[in-house]
Amino acid sequence: MQGKVIMIDQEKCTGCRQCEMVCSVFHTGASNPSRSRIRVVKWEHIGFYLPQTCQNCEKPFCTEVCPTKACHRDLENQRVIIDKNLCIGCKTCIIACPFGAPSFDKMERVTIKCDYCDGDPQCVSFCTVKAVSYVEADQLPIGKKREVGAKYMELMARR
Amino acid sequence: MTSEIVPQERRLKFVKPQREWKWEIAIYLYLAGMGAGAFIIGMVVQWLGLSLRPSTAFTLFGYPVDLSRAAFLWGPILVAIGAPFLILDLGIKRRFLYACLNPRTSWVARGFLILSTFIVLGLAMFGRSLLPAGSLGGRTTLWILVEMISVIFAFATAIYTGVLLKSVKYVPIWNTPLLPGLFLVSALSTGSMLTILSALGYGLVFAGGESLGLIHKLIGAEQILILIEAVVLAVYLLTKYRGRDQGETSVRLLLSGELKFLFWGGIVLIGFIFPVTLEYLYAHFPRSPVLLIATGIFLLAGGFFLRLGVLASGVKEQLPMHKYVEMKVQLSTPQRSISPGQ
Repeated sequence: MQGKVIMIDQEKCTGCRQCEMVCSVFHTGASNPSRSRIRVVKWEHIGFYLPQTCQNCEKPFCTEVCPTKACHRDLENQRVIIDKNLCIGCKTCIIACPFGAPSFDKMERVTIKCDYCDGDPQCVSFCTVKAVSYVEADQLPIGKKREVGAKYMELMARR
Repeated sequence: MTSEIVPQERRLKFVKPQREWKWEIAIYLYLAGMGAGAFIIGMVVQWLGLSLRPSTAFTLFGYPVDLSRAAFLWGPILVAIGAPFLILDLGIKRRFLYACLNPRTSWVARGFLILSTFIVLGLAMFGRSLLPAGSLGGRTTLWILVEMISVIFAFATAIYTGVLLKSVKYVPIWNTPLLPGLFLVSALSTGSMLTILSALGYGLVFAGGESLGLIHKLIGAEQILILIEAVVLAVYLLTKYRGRDQGETSVRLLLSGELKFLFWGGIVLIGFIFPVTLEYLYAHFPRSPVLLIATGIFLLAGGFFLRLGVLASGVKEQLPMHKYVEMKVQLSTPQRSISPGQ
């Protein structure tokens, strides 16, 4: 078993930012999107919205640069997490991550990152359009392949 | 069909340099580099047998103290002053000791160990130089060994300031071996200027013109270092401008963007042009130390502005998605064209 990861379908995202709200409620107890682990990047002038969260790289660069080993790969659950008790808030992983996934939490004064809500990601449960989904890593493109296949079928049927 | 013109500002790249590492890190890089450079120059001066005359000997709390050699070796004190700025930048400052836990892969952890070692060895050398020559058994093989190791760690400290930035691979303007090279040369040039100012201060406080001969030798070396630094900086910016995408953006930020005052005013004018002009004037009026002091202040300020400029212009590599968005914007923007009927 490869482990499950969050799959993002940017074509479906409507930019409602519900995921940010529930993520912050789950992790911090209050609705505070600036402390959310998932962020929606918006390009309003072309109507393109991109939810962005930790990619859970197999060879994470953030774990390499972390000076305290707070950021490490949890092999049991196949995710990269930051140990809140070891993190010193040096922000090196924020600069190092090529996707810009970690962010600095000004209230806790540590770096925060998506940790899959310990197995049941809230953003996945609450996204009404299913722009984020929680699937096995080796099954990632299957959903998209089905959609493309269905589109082909529809186009063929029209001819 | 009316063509939709997207305003110019919407089509420009959204340029956002990193803001995680700010002035605290700039001060730390600057002081660590300058202190290490000053220590290296000071040790080289000592190895060459040059020294400040006359050597002072006065007693402090009943112990004999000699400042003539210590005036060259106080660089590690600067490094020790710079280190707390790094701690100041942390989120949870009281946990700073944890930063040494991952030297296997993390350059922040390795730097913690390198700097700690250098500070300890350097302060030991500084402390020993305060005592009159010949104390603590004189210059035995053990002390010579300690001297050489401390110089090696001084080089490691100066180079580390650049390697730290290079190790964060995805900021193109930092990801080059020219950056540690630039910071090393800058450390040596600001360090040598600091040594000159220390020798000048010593000469002004304790004696007459005895130290000027030594100072003029140091100025010669320092002019070469400024020249090398200017060349390395030019090559660095040129290679980054011609290199990958966001490296060019960073160089443009520095040369003609938001940071142009910092670059042209702080780094070029204050850091290179003013010191070189003032040094040239000093060569014609060697009796006024004020010119030399002004040169020193400008050069040292320029060194700090260089670190600040490099940090403030760090733009991260574009995400593939950002490139996709840019293409989408360009493809969906109808070009204003002359259609045949008009």
